[in-house]
Amino acid sequence: MIKTEDLRTAVTDALKYIKKHKDVIDAEVFASWNDLITIRLNYTSDIPCNGVHEPKSIQSYGLGILATVKRGNRIEVGFGSVTNDLTKEGVLDALTKAKRNRVYDPDFKTLPDQIDKPAFKNYHDKSVMKIRSEETVDLGWKALDGALKALNDRGHRKSIIVGGDVTILRERMAIKTTKGIDDFDETTTLTANITVMIENKNVKGTGWSMGTHLATFKPEAAGREAAESAMRTIGGRKIKSGKHNVIFGNQPLTDIASNVLIPSLNLASVNASNTPFLGMLGQEIASRNLYIYDDGSIKGETGSKKITCEGVPTGRTDLIKNGTLVGFLANNYFARKFKNNLYHQIPRNGFRYSTNGRDYKNKAGISPTNVIIGGNKETTRDSLLKQVNNGIYIGRIWYTYAINGLAMGDFTSTIIADSFLIKGGKISSPLKPNTIRINTNIKHILNNIIGITKKKRSTLVWGSGEVVIAPEIAISNVQLDNIAGFLG
Amino acid sequence: MKPRIEILDKLRPHVFKTLSTHYKSLDNCKYADLRLGISEFKSASSENGQSKDVTDDYDASFGVRVIAGEMSSWGFYGQSLGRNDLKIKKITSLIITGINIAYERAIANAKKKREFKKKADSLTAVRLAKIKVCQDTVPADFEIDPRKVSLQKVLKTSMNVSRQMKELDSSVLYTATGIRTGITRELFCSSEGANIDQALPLTQGVVYVAAQKGESSPEVCYDYIGDLRGWEIIEGKNCYNLSFLDFALERTKDTIELSGAEFLKTSKGEVVVVTDPHFNTLLVHEIVGHPTESDRILKMETAYAGRSWLYKSRDENQLGNRIASPLVNAFSDPTVMGYGYYKYDAEGTPASRINVIKDGILKTFLNGRENAAILGHEPNGSMRATTSAMAPIVRMTNTAFGPGKKNPKSIIKEVKDGYYIVSHRIPSISESRENFRISAKKVYKIENGKLVKLYRGGGIMANSKEFLMSIDAVGNDFKMFPIPNCGKGQPMQIMRVGNGGPTLRGKARLAGC
Repeated sequence: MIKTEDLRTAVTDALKYIKKHKDVIDAEVFASWNDLITIRLNYTSDIPCNGVHEPKSIQSYGLGILATVKRGNRIEVGFGSVTNDLTKEGVLDALTKAKRNRVYDPDFKTLPDQIDKPAFKNYHDKSVMKIRSEETVDLGWKALDGALKALNDRGHRKSIIVGGDVTILRERMAIKTTKGIDDFDETTTLTANITVMIENKNVKGTGWSMGTHLATFKPEAAGREAAESAMRTIGGRKIKSGKHNVIFGNQPLTDIASNVLIPSLNLASVNASNTPFLGMLGQEIASRNLYIYDDGSIKGETGSKKITCEGVPTGRTDLIKNGTLVGFLANNYFARKFKNNLYHQIPRNGFRYSTNGRDYKNKAGISPTNVIIGGNKETTRDSLLKQVNNGIYIGRIWYTYAINGLAMGDFTSTIIADSFLIKGGKISSPLKPNTIRINTNIKHILNNIIGITKKKRSTLVWGSGEVVIAPEIAISNVQLDNIAGFLG
Repeated sequence: MKPRIEILDKLRPHVFKTLSTHYKSLDNCKYADLRLGISEFKSASSENGQSKDVTDDYDASFGVRVIAGEMSSWGFYGQSLGRNDLKIKKITSLIITGINIAYERAIANAKKKREFKKKADSLTAVRLAKIKVCQDTVPADFEIDPRKVSLQKVLKTSMNVSRQMKELDSSVLYTATGIRTGITRELFCSSEGANIDQALPLTQGVVYVAAQKGESSPEVCYDYIGDLRGWEIIEGKNCYNLSFLDFALERTKDTIELSGAEFLKTSKGEVVVVTDPHFNTLLVHEIVGHPTESDRILKMETAYAGRSWLYKSRDENQLGNRIASPLVNAFSDPTVMGYGYYKYDAEGTPASRINVIKDGILKTFLNGRENAAILGHEPNGSMRATTSAMAPIVRMTNTAFGPGKKNPKSIIKEVKDGYYIVSHRIPSISESRENFRISAKKVYKIENGKLVKLYRGGGIMANSKEFLMSIDAVGNDFKMFPIPNCGKGQPMQIMRVGNGGPTLRGKARLAGC
């Protein structure tokens, strides 16, 4: 395990060394150590299984240099990195690569400036940094225990599937630049995402727990929640194809946000002309009740960081305000390229994420942190149900994709769990899972909002890095189509 | 000086010896294997003719799997490697540490499993099906060595292609290209005595183009060429028989044409659809490839990518049943060229062709050693991992619909009223892959055997079994295409696979905007 102090010393020594190179104009040195531990669950009551399938981890550390170099009349920029090496030789190697990998890119303006002060200090959990193998394995079994206890208490012992994982991400980084940025960050993230099925009842439920500290992390509660959710939907019914008023719960709203909406509110998508909101900055694109912003500085949220991977303190970036498009997620590169289109927002989303955290091998791209979705007039769930009156409560969707590309805004998805019919303003019978496909467009969702709940929940979906602090949201006239059920 | 893949010549005996001897020193350690890989690569990207990025570098990592404990359980450890780690003394020490961590996890897991067994009787000790233990060396096969192509050439090609795409028409808003070429070499050693050294080249070109006419939404195209070969892929020896430039210009012309086309409307009911080999590449990937992966069969992916419509239980499943028209065949074959090519999988199992669907009947599933043991099947070598630092999972290989006998032109000509669905775009599949919606780049209306009108923003949706059963014509124009970005597992692993097929004719509902 590499200490943060080692990373800080490495970036300081590296910058001193780089400054001796006369051809280097500016440089950014980023060093990181990451460890991703995954405890994957696989319990099947009717098939031989392992329960906790495979406790595993991927670890890496190293250093990356982004340097601007003068070549004749023009400035060229290059990036190089080294793995498992924080020595002077490693720095020389990375710098040699950065020089070899240099290109002339007219859109690269300069490195980020020092801006404001970070909101956080020492917010990670030291006990997670010291966690032992046995303890990590135990967290996985706790999640399984929570699910099985809840199922057994209600007499469900056969036809059971419990899957998902407990994941622990430990990240350390330090950054120093010729523009005066000199900072570091340490984060610990814990997530439990559990799915329970009672196959012969054709029901599936999900539960999750997220946090930054071991003391408040409850994988067994995630297991229990998943089991209870599955049991609640026994006896599901099908519905007819057509346009329905629906409530999207926390998970489906997060799935739509992570796979369709947030990628469309990213300057890299603007750069590639791949967003349905091209040229619409300052225009009303949604119900006036809606706001969306990104904020990496919310205490206790798992998407929070002290600084970005470009050394900029995290903070709030407004995206949609009173239904109007007011901004895009940005890193330094795109913020400078599009500075006239941005209302001069500070680029607070420059991160170098890869599979196992903040990766020294990458240049900073654009990644969301915590995305908050809310309404100016928020309501309770009961009131939202009354507003919908007759419709569908959708609790979990799957495989949400912008089916004709992000620019068109069309998306499709299937309803796989945790869903109910709404009758007379109340939750009625469960909806049979895997029998409905959603076929709609993100602009339809944004412009047909019936209401938004005040109560929100931090939610993460498979394959996405950001946390969505999601309310439940009611939308009118969403196209739902019948499909075959499992083995149907 | 960057490490070369030849460094493994020196490390190979030491890695094998370290694993074999250290494994024996651990109590109750039943099995261990190790993969150590290094890749050398060059890459470049550009936008609108402007350079954006170049890289000339290497990547190295290793991963260890251990089965240990009284009630045998898995433990895994993986990490990246730097230049200094690829020295005998250092790598020996890192491997020993890695085995120890994986072993510690396996022991802790086995202990817990035994405790839980009282309340969950399906918990069982890990058992691996037997395979032929191999020692082999598989060199990389290419015409033009990726390592001998200069970085400047890679960059200039990328810039030239994106510039020519941009200059094709004023409606082109944005173009981007990316090229990557290199070789990956991986050692596989196991406590059973496997000692395999396998090298695979990879060359890939990616194009992206956005075009807009009038006030309509921009039309966007993303596509790629590639194979496990050298630079000759970029020069035209690929599945399209087009140079990267010609491929990119063809995609750009299509995008320009589409940006002015009418949007397809969703149909109320089923229509006759003729799907081309490129579209069927994604179709077979989603409704045959994934649902025949045995981890889905055994419900291990329920929380992530879902189950399989082919298997409910030992007693209720589709093995031996008709799931498609008698004209339909499908196979998975890592021994033929394509993105799913290899000689040994990530468990050291020799690769072999698997007939998945024969004359419309489901025959078997893709598996690894553990799943084969649970199902009572022969291991068929379908385990892969994106890097050596990641745990292997079941993956489709070169998985495709088999060829038929009919001329594709006559398949269209016989259609009085229908649609021709050309080139895949984006999929959305239901939980057990029993239903799909897949978008196409182009949809043509067929009237009296002729293509009469082009539409954009369309595709098809259908229940998987109903579509497969509806197929009444299979073309003789079989092709295998690369899919570079199949996501699966936790943490997510992005894998390259080969998929393909011939022209097919069946019935589905049109899915429009």
